[in-house]
Amino acid sequence: MALPNQQTVDYPSFKLVIVGDGGTGKTTFVKRHLTGEFEKKYEPTIGVEVPPLDFFTNCGKIRFYCWDTAGQEKFGGLRDGYYIHGQCAIIMFDVTARLTYKNVPTWHRDLCRVCENIPIVLCGNKVDVKNRQVKAKQVTFHRKKNLQYYEISAKSNYNFEKPFLYLARKLAGDPNLHFVETPALAPPEVPIDLAAQAQHEAELAAAASQPLPDDDDDAFE
Amino acid sequence: KIKLATTSSSSVASEPEHNTKSRELEEENATKTGAADDEDTGAQVAPIVKLEEVPVTTGEEDEDAILDLKAKLYRFDKEGNQWKERGVGTVKLLKHKESGKVRLVFRQSKTLKICANHLVLPTINVQEHHGNDKSCLWHAADSADGELKDELFCIRFPSVENCKTFKETVEEVAESQGKKEESKDAADAAGLLEKLSVGDGKTEEKEKQAKEVSQTVADKAKEDGEKEDEPASST
Repeated sequence: MALPNQQTVDYPSFKLVIVGDGGTGKTTFVKRHLTGEFEKKYEPTIGVEVPPLDFFTNCGKIRFYCWDTAGQEKFGGLRDGYYIHGQCAIIMFDVTARLTYKNVPTWHRDLCRVCENIPIVLCGNKVDVKNRQVKAKQVTFHRKKNLQYYEISAKSNYNFEKPFLYLARKLAGDPNLHFVETPALAPPEVPIDLAAQAQHEAELAAAASQPLPDDDDDAFE
Repeated sequence: KIKLATTSSSSVASEPEHNTKSRELEEENATKTGAADDEDTGAQVAPIVKLEEVPVTTGEEDEDAILDLKAKLYRFDKEGNQWKERGVGTVKLLKHKESGKVRLVFRQSKTLKICANHLVLPTINVQEHHGNDKSCLWHAADSADGELKDELFCIRFPSVENCKTFKETVEEVAESQGKKEESKDAADAAGLLEKLSVGDGKTEEKEKQAKEVSQTVADKAKEDGEKEDEPASST
């Protein structure tokens, strides 16, 4: 479900509710999917943001309206309103902060009070960090409550597509659903603008001296 | 031609290069769950939509890949004066089987989404990235998300050799596209100038027009494909 002022689409779309303590990486995870970037800076989400996220599958295009909610209590409020008509959910915690895992049952309870029988994925984020406080074998909540669990890293992209793939499969009842190539349409012909080109060259020259954000890491997965 | 990006085994098999350190850590962590990566511990829930399988079109069917390399793509955030990640995946140079036009397409590996999609124009200028010989940068009017945007891209490869191969291939393409364009321009300019010399319009007006013509020749050449067939020798 989209926000009232958001455009609707002619292909299947789902309301995805993302909850979890503040600072566990909900917004960063969504942003990673939206633009590819990894935001290191922490800016707490105020209220809710609902970016649409599209995927191409072998069963056509689908959309998740990602209800990225404020994890911090002080920026929350209206919480039940976020959950209403939720069709699937992600509960996020931070494997480097034990308290965020301890709070998972609370998030789960609040969610299930409003959304009954929806597919839910529990995500342990930041598994790229060496000093974990919550080891994988200590994560047991999903077995008790029948959730799917993924260890993810929004930083390294480890398993970053899995939560969406799992939810799409459950929503469609198709365990073989998979992502396929987004059609690469023919790019438009752009007339060469010599004046603008000089400006681009200047911008390029300036950008050439800026380092890449993750020069140290050599992951190409 | 469908690539599956769903099972861990297929994605691992297609990824010969990766960060051993972080992968080891992640794999170790994954092993500790004592569960296969895709073990489903979720509750049985009723599906809410019925989706039919549809034919997959990559949009690349009429093209040949003249380059296909794993890489990481970045875009420049002018406001923040910094590079930002765009995606990890594959960069391809695709040559159209009929028009001969070449475009650059970058796809995110796991979601197969498009991170860059633009023509390789004769004016493209691939520059070195200071202090990093595995990466290089360029400007493009890009339409990755279907909307035309000016972007500065930087691409980083796992090796210096791959970066060199990429840079050289783009430069070769740009040069060959330039030659095609030049012959087109010459033919076009000849045709337009010939038209101007016909009739008895004011000389000043003619000169002004001629100036404009020479400036817009590049655009016109593209807009008006049939002009291409006019012989350059007509002047």
